[in-house]
Parts: sequence; C-alpha cells; structure tokens
Amino acid sequence: MLTLNNLMPEPLRERLSGKTSSIWKSTVQFEPGEWINVTAPSGTGKTTFIHILYGLRKDYSGTALLNQTDLRSLDPDALAVIRQQKISIIFQDLKLFPHLTVIENIELKRILHEPSCGAEQVTAMAEQLGIAGILNQPAAICSYGEQQRAAIIRALVQPFEWLIMDEPFSHLDNNNTMKAAALIAEECKRRRAGFIITDLDENNLFPYNRKLHL
Amino acid sequence: MTSLDNLLKKLIRNSAGHLRYTVAIMGLSIAVFLLLTAVQIQVNYNELLHGRNNRDSIANFLVINKQLTDASLGKTALEDSVIQNIRSQPFIESVGMLTPGRFRASIQSKSDRFPFYTDISFEAIPESFIDVNGINWTWNESASYVPVIIPNMFLDMYNFQFSLSQNLPQLTPDVVKMLLFTITVYGPKGTAAFNGKIVGFSDRISSMLVPTEFMDWGNRHFATEQIKNPSRLIIRTRDPGNPALTDYLRKHRLTTDTEKTRFSKYRQIVDTVVAISGISGALMLLFALLIFTLFIQLTIASCKEEINLLITLGASPDQLSRFLMNRFFPPNAWMITISFITLMILQFFLSRYLEHQQMVISGIISVYTLGVAVLLGILIWCVNRKTIRNYIYPGS
Repeated sequence: MLTLNNLMPEPLRERLSGKTSSIWKSTVQFEPGEWINVTAPSGTGKTTFIHILYGLRKDYSGTALLNQTDLRSLDPDALAVIRQQKISIIFQDLKLFPHLTVIENIELKRILHEPSCGAEQVTAMAEQLGIAGILNQPAAICSYGEQQRAAIIRALVQPFEWLIMDEPFSHLDNNNTMKAAALIAEECKRRRAGFIITDLDENNLFPYNRKLHL
Repeated sequence: MTSLDNLLKKLIRNSAGHLRYTVAIMGLSIAVFLLLTAVQIQVNYNELLHGRNNRDSIANFLVINKQLTDASLGKTALEDSVIQNIRSQPFIESVGMLTPGRFRASIQSKSDRFPFYTDISFEAIPESFIDVNGINWTWNESASYVPVIIPNMFLDMYNFQFSLSQNLPQLTPDVVKMLLFTITVYGPKGTAAFNGKIVGFSDRISSMLVPTEFMDWGNRHFATEQIKNPSRLIIRTRDPGNPALTDYLRKHRLTTDTEKTRFSKYRQIVDTVVAISGISGALMLLFALLIFTLFIQLTIASCKEEINLLITLGASPDQLSRFLMNRFFPPNAWMITISFITLMILQFFLSRYLEHQQMVISGIISVYTLGVAVLLGILIWCVNRKTIRNYIYPGS
C-alpha cells in the first residue's frame, strides 16, 4: 500500500500554493493492485511526484509511505531492495545506457535481482512491441520510439508490486501505444500489481480504478 | 547469456589508464616483498641467534669465571649463591656448568707416523652449549671411543707455530678427526685406557671437552679430589654488549672473553638491513597504497554517471562495491601471493647456502612472515573497501 500524507515538494511550494490538487497537501492511499491515472499540465510536478514515489527525491515536506515504511528514511541499500522487488519505473527521459545494446539494457535490469521472467519472455515482449530486430543495436542509435519501448520492457522484466510511469508513451504512435499498454496491463495483471501513470491528458488506455488530478 | 558482472564491466571501465594501474600494482608488489623480506630476515637472524640447532651460530655464549687476583688465588670456585644469582638475571637466558675433571689423564698417539704424548685435563658442558653440529655427543662404557672436542685455536697453534718449528706435517681438521689416540685415566685404584677421537673443533670454549657421561664416570671412579663447585660457567645471553651484563660482571668481579663482541657487528649489519628493508618497504607501501587509492577514485569518478544510473535503476551500492572489490582486490591478493612465493623460494636457497656455512635456518618461511602477509592482505582489503564505499555511496 502507498500512503501519501501532506506531500509538498519544496522547490514547487510557491508555484503550487493556492492551487487545488488531489495529491499535493492531501492524504491519499493507493491500495495494492490499484491502477491509477494522474493527469496534470506541464510544470505542475508530475516528474517530481514520480521521483518522490521512487525515492529519488527527499526535498519535500509530508511523508510517502510504502507498506508503512517512510521512503525517505531508507538507506541506499534498502532503497535498492525496494527498486529491485517492489517498485519498477518507466522514466520520462528513459535513462538507458547509450553504449549498451537494447538487450543489454533490458538484461541488466532483469538479472539485477532474481529474474522474474526468462530471457525468452524478453524476446517475446520485444516481438510484441516490434523491437526484436534492434535488440543488438546500441541504445544510442535507436530512435526515441524504440528507446521508449526498450525502457517499457526493461521496467516489466523485474518483480514489482507497483509500476510507476512518467508519460511512458510520449514518443509512441497510437498503434505502438496500444501494444505497449496491452503488454503493461498483461504484466501487471500477472503480478497482481498496481500502477500509477502520469500524463498530460486523461486517456482510456487502461481500465483505471482511479483518476486523479495533480 | 550475459552475466551481471560482464554488463557491469562494460559500464565501469578501467578508464584511469593501464600505465597508472601497472605502476600501482608494481609499487605495491615491491613494497610487500620488502616488508616480508624484513620480517623474514629478522626471523632468520633470531633463529641463528637463539635457535638450539645452531651450534656454530652467531648466538652469544660467554664463558665467565672469577677475576684472578692475588686475593682470589685458589678461591676461584663459584659459590652456589653466585650461580643462582647469575641464573636469575634477566639478561641471561641459560647457564651451563663447566664440569672439571677431578682426575689425572693423559693422551698418547697410536700412530708411529705422528707420535705424541701429553698430560691433559678435560671439561664437560651440557650438550646445548656445544658449537659443533652433527656429532654423536654421548658416551657409555661399551662405546668404542671417547669423543673429544678441542678448541679451534689448538689446531691453529699446531699448524702455524708448532709444526713449522718442529718440522712436522701440517694437519687439516679432517685428518685430525681420523687420528685415534689412547686416553689414560689415573686414579687411586689404578688406571684405565680408552680410545679417543677428536670429533670437532670449538670456537666457543677453550677447553678439551668430553661428554658429560664420560666426565661423570671418570669423576666417580678416579677422582682424587672431593666434589667442588665449578670455576667456570657458560652463559647464553641475548646481548653480550648489554651494559647491565657488563656492569653485573664488574660488580661481582667476574670476567669473560671480550673477543665475543665481534658478534655484535653481525647484529648491527642485520639490524641495518632489516631497518632499511622495513622502512623503505613501509614507505613504498604507503605511497603505493596512495597511488592505488587514487586509481580507484579515478576509475569511479570517470564512471560516476554510469554508477549513479545503476543505483537509480536499482543496483545496490553494496552490490556495486562488491563488484568493484572483486575487480580491484584479486590483483592485490595475487601480488601478495607472488611476493610470498618468491620469498619462499629465496628462503629455501638461503637455508641451503647457509647450511654449507654451518648455520642452520629453516628452509620454510616463518609463520610470522605468513602472518604479516595475511595482515598486509587485510590492510589492502580494508583500504580498497573503504575507498570504494566512500565513493560509491550516494552523497559521498
């Protein structure tokens, strides 16, 4: 369970004062397995919100709890365990290693901890998203769309209870977005995992349990 | 299938330069070798000085007796209280009695080619004080001959003075050892004759020595005098140049042979070699560790972005530290092992060489050297680990 109490990022305090939000300065609880869509216009802290949930930022007031554990109180090794087993992420800026091949980028995440899926499943996912042909190319020479699909697969090859996604389809066309969403839904169902997806506008890509406005 | 280590190797490259790395490893190797050498030299030296096997070693044995003055004439026997007092001094490791023969004796050659006859007296000391190796230093009534050790200077006096003036042939130690002569012991109840044979030459004691068993037997059956305290003692001391020892001897009107101070020269040389080797080894170790630490820092700094992204993606700092330790420490462990093996080989050949010089040291490297090698391994492991963890953990 994810519990947010009176969250307010320090750098955005002035900008967000006086604005209403379902998350900032509110108490919100996300139940295990819930699929949540968070929408907000640019500059209102979507990426900051995702980074707080992933334990990357500590410059905020309030608390973010994962199963009653304050994410800010975790030491780097304990946080790594959370990132390997509990929370997976798709970054807006993808964060691939440019000189590793696509398959190496995915493998790195898969074998960082006990793998939750086999190498053949990775190939199957790559085929499903149409990037099987570029698996052995360095990430640096792939298009943004290909890199984004690689980042999506990378997030799905580890065990997780929550998948958090920061505008995960921003570089994909409709067709590829539908395929990627189907794969994400399938993997989350298989794990009975919840997800939080941030986007600029509302969408109906998933049967959301909740839609929130940041 | 690609392993995690292979992927991490691709990401965390040795971008700090192979030359720097080679220099760091070589520096560490030499430093470790010098330090281990210093320890082993010290151990060898101690073994030569104090080892029981080194009869002809540079250990410090002193024969002491009362100063002979007009007042002490005829009263040179050392009282029990004096002997006890000597024994209790901290600078004296052990004390051996020179048991004098209380019977008359003579020796006579059995060879016509080399005739001699002389009255003689014997002394006996405990076997552990004898500086002749590899002899059967014992006697019983059924033995075919009595082994005798004579002072080296007797042979020198014969070869370089007596033989020249008397037109007699010079004799090598080996030839002397082949001569068989008759020892005749005289007592109130008659005489007894034995075969005698010189089995060795001593630099340490200026007496004709026979085994304690023979001396006890002779004193029991042929003594003409009552048992009396010995006049001379042999002591084993760590340092004959110790002022406390010389003070003690002077205060108790005891004397010893001052020639023994020559051994202190060996000690100075060994001390100097150990000091130079140890100090330069320690300094080199310090610098080499510094270079190696810098090398690790540079490697991590040049891959900082990759390391940060790995941690962001979920690699634990502990996982990365272990990977880096596995990368940096094994060459160090190999370097220590190779230095140790090199020293083992050198030690083996040194022991063989010294054996020819009648000096016995172990052919196997000492447990202290092994201990220091292990300690150096632990030290380098700690320095590597601390450096890596300092730079790998977020916020450092």
